[in-house]
Amino acid sequence: MDEGARFLILSLEGELYAIPITLLLEIKTAGEIRKDPNLTELFEGTFEFRGKGIPVVSAKKILKLPGKPGTALLVLKSRRGTLGLLVDAVMDILDTSQKPITLPPGVMSAGLRYYDGILRHKEKLVLLLNDDGLLP
Amino acid sequence: MTSSYLVFHLTGRLFGMKLQGAIEILPWRPSRPVPLSFQFVEGLLDYRGTVYPVFNLAQRVGLNRPGPIGFTADEQGQPAAGRSIILVEENKKSFGITVDGVAKMVKLEDGPAVLGKAQGIDPGFVKGCVYDDGQEIIILDFERLFNAG
Repeated sequence: MDEGARFLILSLEGELYAIPITLLLEIKTAGEIRKDPNLTELFEGTFEFRGKGIPVVSAKKILKLPGKPGTALLVLKSRRGTLGLLVDAVMDILDTSQKPITLPPGVMSAGLRYYDGILRHKEKLVLLLNDDGLLP
Repeated sequence: MTSSYLVFHLTGRLFGMKLQGAIEILPWRPSRPVPLSFQFVEGLLDYRGTVYPVFNLAQRVGLNRPGPIGFTADEQGQPAAGRSIILVEENKKSFGITVDGVAKMVKLEDGPAVLGKAQGIDPGFVKGCVYDDGQEIIILDFERLFNAG
């Protein structure tokens, strides 16, 4: 039987990343992000979603990538609440039976939980983001 | 007893690694970068069904790279073979290292490691030096180099 999983493929600075589609509530454009003085600098602000203000983070800022926060806003239900994630672009949906490959040892500190593994998509490597790692 | 060594150029010096597992030499190519990885990690390389981490050896051993990236003149002033990635598979570990050029394979007598002039390199990464035709070849300790994380 098919034990596939679905992932949303997104791009940051020209490279591909993925999140499990089960985390995705909605895709928006980064139109109305309001600065919120109660949030730390790690947050871009809040976004009105279903009558509530949800915190928004920039995926590039979290991964210490250069460039402006992206213009596509993913509304995610993470293990720690609803979250807005700014990315450059939404690329594709990957429907796959691939099991994410574990990140090889020696690449980064073992304590860092930014990635849940590696996927392949159209002959490219895709880093699967860990929703826990996305929250500051 | 003799052992086989793969000898390669890095920042104008000769380095060697004992050949144990399988290796493959590829022309250098960009790897998929991994944000927040260690500085000496160039990225991930998908090659024949395996995802290899690619380590920048010069950065790892703390050598500054002189001249343009990609080529280093050898002893005769000729450019070495182009920048390469050596894929290593040993002890169930697979990884790639970037070198300025692969020089040769040599068979050398096993003997006590001679400590040479491996200046500028963390001594913890050096197993010793061997000499081939009067040329010093620094033998690196790969177990130590890539066991972090």
